[in-house]
Amino acid sequence: MPDRSFEAQLERRFADTPTFPDADLFASRVAVVLDRGWGVRRLLIGGLGLAGGLIGGIQILRLDVLEHIGGLQTSAQSLISTGLSHFPKVRAMADVIQSGASMDAEVLWMSGGLAILAIGLLVTRTFRDI
Amino acid sequence: MAQPLAGLGSTHDLDLVGQSVRGDRQAFGELVRRHGSAVRALLRRMGADPALADDLAQDAFLAAFEQIGDFRGDGPFQSWVKRIAARLYVKRWRRESRISLGEDATETAVEGSFVGSDDRLDLDDALKSLSPGERVCVSLCYGAGFSHAEAAAALNAPLGTVKSHVKRGLDKLKARLAPAGRPLGREANGHA
Repeated sequence: MPDRSFEAQLERRFADTPTFPDADLFASRVAVVLDRGWGVRRLLIGGLGLAGGLIGGIQILRLDVLEHIGGLQTSAQSLISTGLSHFPKVRAMADVIQSGASMDAEVLWMSGGLAILAIGLLVTRTFRDI
Repeated sequence: MAQPLAGLGSTHDLDLVGQSVRGDRQAFGELVRRHGSAVRALLRRMGADPALADDLAQDAFLAAFEQIGDFRGDGPFQSWVKRIAARLYVKRWRRESRISLGEDATETAVEGSFVGSDDRLDLDDALKSLSPGERVCVSLCYGAGFSHAEAAAALNAPLGTVKSHVKRGLDKLKARLAPAGRPLGREANGHA
């Protein structure tokens, strides 16, 4: 039959622990390892983010996505023009807007750059969460 | 005596855990400072030499930081880290396979025992009279708060074996800690 009183005594004795004289040193040691781990992780995340961004950018260029987007934009413009031809007033307004925001190569490159940046951030965020 | 980190000395463990969950390593450092000694002491009592105890305690705290989001606060933070540390020690103990749970040889004195109250010295001394298996089983159940079933699972040993080790260990400890009808520890010293 177990001696509950002795078992309770034993638990109390186990819980009664000293503060080691080098407790601060131990805590500092853990802090250093923790910091080092985070430093390495940050580097790894940054590296992977950069690599992901580069790979994403290369893929975008290789797949002629920009060209495809340009084609889509032309189709969309003609579709909108056809639709707007039925509404002369709205068409006049759309012409004004279009004249100030013509899509040229620079805009496409900027979009590509932003896409790369977004992919990089997404990869970084994902690895940080992991 | 270890000094608390500036501004965190009076912060409750649960608040420090909350800050640690948000990645505050200084708050976690305060938890390490507060509970490091208890975790190291448990590992030494389980049978680890001081260097191994320190290494495993460090690994336990690093693991605790990684898993801090899993800490639900339904028990003290210290108990949670102790359980992590105890599992690490058992894993190491089993991997090295130098000692099996069935072995009955008593261990030689563990170097570097810490200095503290008579109770602690008594317990540390008494634990040395146990076989390694008994010592690990008793420490897991009474030091790290494992149930017999949890200890058996951690040790990958039959439940009956763990129970018999605990029983034998308790008998030995009782004989060492309260010989000839002497009242135990605190009561003997007049503490409630």
